[in-house]
Amino acid sequence: MEATKIIDSRGAACPGPITDLAKAYRNSKVGDVLELWATDKGVKADTQAWATKTGNEILEVKEDPDKIVVRIKINKR
Amino acid sequence: MEMKKVLVIGGGGGGLILANHLDTNEFDVTVVDKNDLHYYQPWFLYIAFKGSKRKISRPIGELVKPGVKFVKDEISTINLDERKVYGSRKTVYNYDYLAISTGTTPDPDSIPGLREVYDEYGDYHTNVWNAEKLWSNISRFKGGTIAIGQSSPTCKCPPSLLEGAFLLEEHLRKVGLKDKTRIVFFTPFPRAYPAEPMNKVVEPMVKERGIEVMPFFDVDAIDPKNKTIFSLEGDSVKYDLPIVVPPCKGTKIKIIPETVQDEDRFIKADKKYMKIQGYDDAFAIGDCNTLPTSKTGVTAHLEAMAVSEIIQGRYAEFNGRINCPFDTAYGKATFVIADYNNPVAPYPPTRIKHMMKMTMARIYWMTLKGTADPIFEQFFKFTRPEKLNRKYASVE
Repeated sequence: MEATKIIDSRGAACPGPITDLAKAYRNSKVGDVLELWATDKGVKADTQAWATKTGNEILEVKEDPDKIVVRIKINKR
Repeated sequence: MEMKKVLVIGGGGGGLILANHLDTNEFDVTVVDKNDLHYYQPWFLYIAFKGSKRKISRPIGELVKPGVKFVKDEISTINLDERKVYGSRKTVYNYDYLAISTGTTPDPDSIPGLREVYDEYGDYHTNVWNAEKLWSNISRFKGGTIAIGQSSPTCKCPPSLLEGAFLLEEHLRKVGLKDKTRIVFFTPFPRAYPAEPMNKVVEPMVKERGIEVMPFFDVDAIDPKNKTIFSLEGDSVKYDLPIVVPPCKGTKIKIIPETVQDEDRFIKADKKYMKIQGYDDAFAIGDCNTLPTSKTGVTAHLEAMAVSEIIQGRYAEFNGRINCPFDTAYGKATFVIADYNNPVAPYPPTRIKHMMKMTMARIYWMTLKGTADPIFEQFFKFTRPEKLNRKYASVE
């Protein structure tokens, strides 16, 4: 069973969401799914670049009315 | 009527500005700090990269206004439910209002190998002695690779990391070592400066000065024997001189209930009123809290101003304003300006802004007492981020 960890970065301006994601990555393990919630529009491009760099996988990018949700699967740690 | 007791823990910028803005005819105000001295921390940069010998400390006891008490004591425990604060020597402090303004605690032991590097080479973020140590290492440097950056995303003063790289490059050019040196700037963020609009301003300067950037680089471990820094993301860099700013953690003081702190011991407070989660009589000001803004002097200052109003029964809120001076070397500087509702403005570096940064270093002591308030009020009004964005941000 995979663990999904929600990282609530709503209200944090750039680079807040990436800061929170990097912190969660340090404490994650292979197989974890990190779900990042953000309101900052820059989060989409930044998490994409982050995933490419770190070799992890973006499962889904979803735009809710009140937040952007990015689901990331940790394949490398 | 008995006076209400305000207890301020921490005699840094936030704590002192709060204490000095309370009416001592109405409030019994005490500031407690484990140290006697208050330091102007932004100057660490000029000690570390220019060998400045300026005296940057003053006794806290001389920085509080008449009527405010200063006590040197190390607090061990804060009990928010009982309104009791425990010092050393079995001292117990009571309060009607509490403000915690304890700043950050450097944590070089949380990354393997960092302690050894930190003790040997110093840094430019944590204290005067470390800044002096770094300057002596830079002075002895004869060429090779300098790896400079922050080890983890939680760090004080976002511009200071690049300021260090810029001032280092200026120094190396001055002493004729530029051609023999490779400067590698590593950062956990996607780009040289985390906020995109400011990155657009400084990135050309980074390139032009030959500073190599390694983005997405969170320090995972350092191997001091092989002089290599490894990142969580799978990269590594070999160095001859490492300049690594250690991770920042929250206060070491035990707080009851412990649920008001996050996993790094920062205190959860609401972003407008700085009230500690679940409490109406306790506030966390400045670097020690979890507010979604930068850890910098100006936020501590503005949060303290708002809390002083709230404690005195007037409405006030903090709007997330940051105003970080950013020395881009060669006599120029800019400011990183934003608030909760407005992104960072791409404000270009100029000589006059550098002069303002240098002036700030001189009038800092007045800001603690509140005598510089009218100047700041005007400055903040004329440099509102929405205004700067209208002027400098291109319509995309």
